[in-house]
Amino acid sequence: MTAGGSDTAAAAPARFLYHPDLTRWSLSREHPFRPDRLQALYELLTAWELMPDGAVLAPSPLRAHELERVHDPEYVRAVRRLSRGDRVDDPRRFGLGTADTPVFPGMHEAVREVCAASVTAIEAILSGSTRRAASFAGGLHHAQRDRASGFCIYDDASLAIHRALDRGWRVAYLDLDAHHGDGVQQAFYEEGRVLTVSLHESGRYLFPGTGHGYELGTGAGRGWSVNVPLEPFTEDAAWLEAFDAVVPRALAAFRPDLIVLQAGADGHRDDPLADLCLTVRGMHDAYRRVVELADRHCDGRLLILGGGGYRPYAVAARAWAQAWAALIGRDTPERVPDAWRERWTEPDGTTPPAAALDDPDRYPPQPRRALIHGHVRAVARRALARLEPIWAETAVGATPTQEGTA
Amino acid sequence: MLVRDIMTRPVVAIAPDMPIDDVIVLMGQRQLRHFPIAEDGRVVGIVSDRDLRTVGSAHPKSRPGVKGSDPVRDLMSAPVWTAHPLDPIDEVASLLRAHAIGAMPVVEEEEMVGIVTSSDCLDALIRMTGVGGAATRIEVELPNRPGELAGLLTLIAEHGADVASVLTTRSELDVAGFVLRVGTIDGRGLALTLREAGYEVTWPPERTTEEA
Ligand SMILES: [Zn+2]
Repeated sequence: MTAGGSDTAAAAPARFLYHPDLTRWSLSREHPFRPDRLQALYELLTAWELMPDGAVLAPSPLRAHELERVHDPEYVRAVRRLSRGDRVDDPRRFGLGTADTPVFPGMHEAVREVCAASVTAIEAILSGSTRRAASFAGGLHHAQRDRASGFCIYDDASLAIHRALDRGWRVAYLDLDAHHGDGVQQAFYEEGRVLTVSLHESGRYLFPGTGHGYELGTGAGRGWSVNVPLEPFTEDAAWLEAFDAVVPRALAAFRPDLIVLQAGADGHRDDPLADLCLTVRGMHDAYRRVVELADRHCDGRLLILGGGGYRPYAVAARAWAQAWAALIGRDTPERVPDAWRERWTEPDGTTPPAAALDDPDRYPPQPRRALIHGHVRAVARRALARLEPIWAETAVGATPTQEGTA
Repeated sequence: MLVRDIMTRPVVAIAPDMPIDDVIVLMGQRQLRHFPIAEDGRVVGIVSDRDLRTVGSAHPKSRPGVKGSDPVRDLMSAPVWTAHPLDPIDEVASLLRAHAIGAMPVVEEEEMVGIVTSSDCLDALIRMTGVGGAATRIEVELPNRPGELAGLLTLIAEHGADVASVLTTRSELDVAGFVLRVGTIDGRGLALTLREAGYEVTWPPERTTEEA
């Protein structure tokens, strides 16, 4: 598939997808999903001098009917109508006009722009002009084929991945959001050229309720949906151990041409929507690992998307600054500038922490730490026990496995 | 939920005079674990993959003297526990457990119309717990008196979220526990609303965000 390593691509700067339109919309006043966290991130990176010349890239428009590659035309039509104030019968059947996804003017255009950003980012890599790109506005991994779900209206990640499939690339999609990446998994559940790996708080406790270990993919996709459901209150060490146990093996078995990382930051212990207990330090370590894995398996080609993150500035912007620094091979300073902290107070009025990485002493260990760690270890082991025989079969046969018809 | 909602049909039934070796081959091809044995459309026995594996082995449950070339009639279990399409599935599940069997033919008016297995019962249970629609788990404890659950559901509806399922986890003299699966990603936001209205929410846990 891919063109060999070109020195220009290696030397080309990583691209950061940015445009004011990506930051100015919101689902409703006081909605927990705050797109302006992208602006906070951009300003933090600029203040830290981590935004090299030529890095910023504005989204190019999508192709005609491109949204319909991953969404039902009827659903897209409904979003478009509601977006301009036209009536739709029973919008709730499309997941719209709900507590999670209220109808708001311009919703179609706003989220289409997010999709355009992620697609533009992947195109920069596919064209060979760079190996690394980030679209932190994206990562809307819950959007379903025919309905909005979990604050997500259109699935930018799947749209981007389709562009890579068009070129014959194999894509590993790695989802570190606290919630299961159900929309993207479903979009490629039968696809043998896309690996989806999701580490998330167990669906037994958290939305959307899926992502069980027995969800493995079907048909040509069998073995290429990987789920690691974690206990609530899982901390950095256990989370990283699960990552190390599963992710490198899955990538080695799959042999991707490109990694797409959904870097949802709602696994942080201060996030109000989920119950994992990660810190920015643990997330930083995971981002570094992903960059190394991209270097090892696919010539460094890596696209980073955003995702959840409901402490939008104190956590999401701070965490993604670490992801971007990893992507460009730099370290951030140790302190967050005071001017930035004062400008980006949280919606609840608190000021973001001064430390770039969370101070480990700030958080006492969880009371059930050892028990939870043991369970996480067991879950990771069970995932491999299910998957490795399937991967071995695929490798031996060289052709994708097909299940017998019933 | 009733047996007719979860049973598998049509059924692959075999004749009592089919050689055991052929049944083993067929079972492998069809990826099934139970075959009802029928004569003139009526169930006369059932044979499981476990029965077939014992043929010619030293397994304590093997039938001495039965060979692969013998008819399956010599190996089958008879008479057979059968279910009716209108049986509730908890009834069937308790029979399967009590008799340590994996499947029951479903018989209506002496005719076999399907088969129900322990896996079917388990799948039904998984469905009943609300897996399927994207949802968040909410656990509440309510005073055990009329109208309490209705009040809770009304408040959730006013919050703008759909309820995918409700399970009762315990029901005691003065308190009843429920697990709801609710179609919102913001379970904590909903839990806050419920707590402010005086409900005792046991999941998601209440949490305060400490600050630097
Ligand atoms: Zn999330």
